[in-house]
Amino acid sequence: MKNLKKALLLAGLLGMAAAYMAADDSTKRYIAHIGKQVPYLPYRYFI
Amino acid sequence: MDYDAVVIGAGLGGLSCASVLARNGFKVLVLENTGQVGGCCSSFDHQGYRFDIGASIVELKWVIDDLFHKLGKRTEDFIDFIPIDPIYGFFTADGRRFSYPVSIEGTREVIAGFSPEDAIAWDRFAEVGSEAINFAFGKVMSESMGTMKDMLRVAAANPKLAKYLKYMVLNFESVLCKFFKNDTVRASMSLQSYFVGLPPALCPGYVAFLAYSEHEGIFYPRGGMIGIPQGIADAFTQFGGEIRFNSRVDKVLTDGKRACGVELADGTQIRSNVVVSNINAKTLYLQLVGEEKLPAWAKRAIKSYEVSIPAPMIMLGLDAKPDLDAHHSFCYATLDEMNRIWFEDYANNRVPDGGFMLISWPTHADPSLAPEGHHCLNLVSFAPYDLADGDWDRDREKYLDTMLGLLEKNFNLKLRDHIQVAKVNTPKDFERLLLHPRGAVYGLQSDITCSAAFRPGARSRVVKGLYLTGASTHLGGGVAPTIGSGMVAGDFILKDFG
Repeated sequence: MKNLKKALLLAGLLGMAAAYMAADDSTKRYIAHIGKQVPYLPYRYFI
Repeated sequence: MDYDAVVIGAGLGGLSCASVLARNGFKVLVLENTGQVGGCCSSFDHQGYRFDIGASIVELKWVIDDLFHKLGKRTEDFIDFIPIDPIYGFFTADGRRFSYPVSIEGTREVIAGFSPEDAIAWDRFAEVGSEAINFAFGKVMSESMGTMKDMLRVAAANPKLAKYLKYMVLNFESVLCKFFKNDTVRASMSLQSYFVGLPPALCPGYVAFLAYSEHEGIFYPRGGMIGIPQGIADAFTQFGGEIRFNSRVDKVLTDGKRACGVELADGTQIRSNVVVSNINAKTLYLQLVGEEKLPAWAKRAIKSYEVSIPAPMIMLGLDAKPDLDAHHSFCYATLDEMNRIWFEDYANNRVPDGGFMLISWPTHADPSLAPEGHHCLNLVSFAPYDLADGDWDRDREKYLDTMLGLLEKNFNLKLRDHIQVAKVNTPKDFERLLLHPRGAVYGLQSDITCSAAFRPGARSRVVKGLYLTGASTHLGGGVAPTIGSGMVAGDFILKDFG
C-alpha cells in the first residue's frame, strides 16, 4: 500500500512535469508566476 | 464614542459602506484626505475643462443599482447615466481603424471582416461570457469571499461557478487564443488584462470576459465620473452621514487588538466602535496601524502583495473635435507585444515606445465638460514607477512630448496644434494625492493568488473592529468591484454590530 502511494505520487509529479514541459511559453510564464506566490498563500489567507 | 463608525477615505468603497451603515442608523463620519469625493473615480475642473482623475467608464452598472436598492433609493434620482455606443474605437499600427458597437451582432460583423471563423467564435465567446458574468463571476461581486467557508457557500449557491473554474486556472492569453485565431481580433480584446495590472500571460483567464461584459452596456455619468461618488455621497448625507474634507488620517488607534478610532495629521483623535478603511491595504497595515503592531505572519502576508502597474494619465483640453470614433479608443498592441512590454520594458524601468494606450474622450458623451466647441481627452498608458533614465517629477513634459509623438508616428493621430491645456498625472502624483503605494491605481495585483480568500479580508483578522473596502480587498479595482466591496464590509459590520 505504501509503495502504491509512492508510485501514485511519483506518477502525479511526472504527469505535472510533462504537462509543464508540453505547455506553451505563455502558460509556462503563468505557472512560474503563480508558483512563486504559493509560499505566501497560508499567510495571505489569514489577513 | 464620538461616532459608531469612522471611514478613512471617500472613495467608492468607503462611501458605499458608509451609506449602508448610515441607512441602518449608524452615526458615521467619512474622513477624506483631498477636497472632494471619489478617490480614483473623480473629476476636477482646470481652466474651463473638467477632467476625470482615473476611472473613465462604468460597466456592470447593476452593482450600482444594487447599492441604491439596498439604500431604499433609485439610482436615477442620484446619477444621470449616459449610455455609450460604440464601446471602443481601434487604431492599429498599420493604419487601420475600426470600432466595436455595443450590439453583439454588430460586433460579429466587424470581426467577420477580419476572420469569418472568429466571427463564429465571437458568438460562442459572448454566450460563455454572458453565463460566466451573469450566473457565475458576477454573483461574487458583492459577496464576502474572505474564507474557504465563504467560498464554498458561494459555490454551493451558484453551481455554475464550477463550470467556469477552468477560466480561473487558465491565463488571459490562453482564453483569448482558445476562442480567437486572428491576431487583430485577439489584440482588440487584450487591453482588459492591464485593467487588473497584469499582462495577458500573467492575468487570470476570467478577466478575458470583460471584453464581453462591456457589450451588456457601458455608461458615463453626466458631469464627469465624480457624478457616481457624488450621488452616493448625497444619499449618505440624506441619512445624516457626515463627510470632512482635507482631513488626513495618520493613525488607526488601537486598544489591544481592537480598533477604537483614528488620529488625524493635526493630532485630533476621533473615537469610534468601527474603523473602515478605503485606502490601500499595504498603507493601512504598515503605516496607519503600524508595522510594529502586526504579528510576524501578518507582516509577511501584507508585504508579499505586489502592487499593480501604475497608469500615468495625460489630460488634454482641445479647441477642436479630435479625430476619434468612440468614447474609448485603443491604440493597441498584439498579445506578444503586450507581454514584451511587461517582461522587457517594465522589468527594466523603461517607458514602452509602441504607443500602446487608451484614449478616453468624455466630451463625446457629455459636451458640457468643456467650453462650446472644445473637447477633453485623457490619454492613459502604463509605465513603471521608477524610471531607468529619468524622474517623473522632472520629466513630466518630456513624457507628454513622447506620448504625443508616439500617437503621431505610430497611429497618425495629430493633437498638438489644438492643445489649449495639458496636464500630466504621474505615478508619483497618484501616490501623493490618493496614497496609492508606487502610484498603483488598480490597487494590489489581481492574479488568483491575490484573489478571494487570499486578498486582504473585508473584516480584518489582525485588528478587530477594522474593516477594509476598495481595490485592495475582494473583488479588486474598478467602479463596480469597489462599490461591491463597500457593500460586503457594510454587511459584515451590520452582522457584528447591528
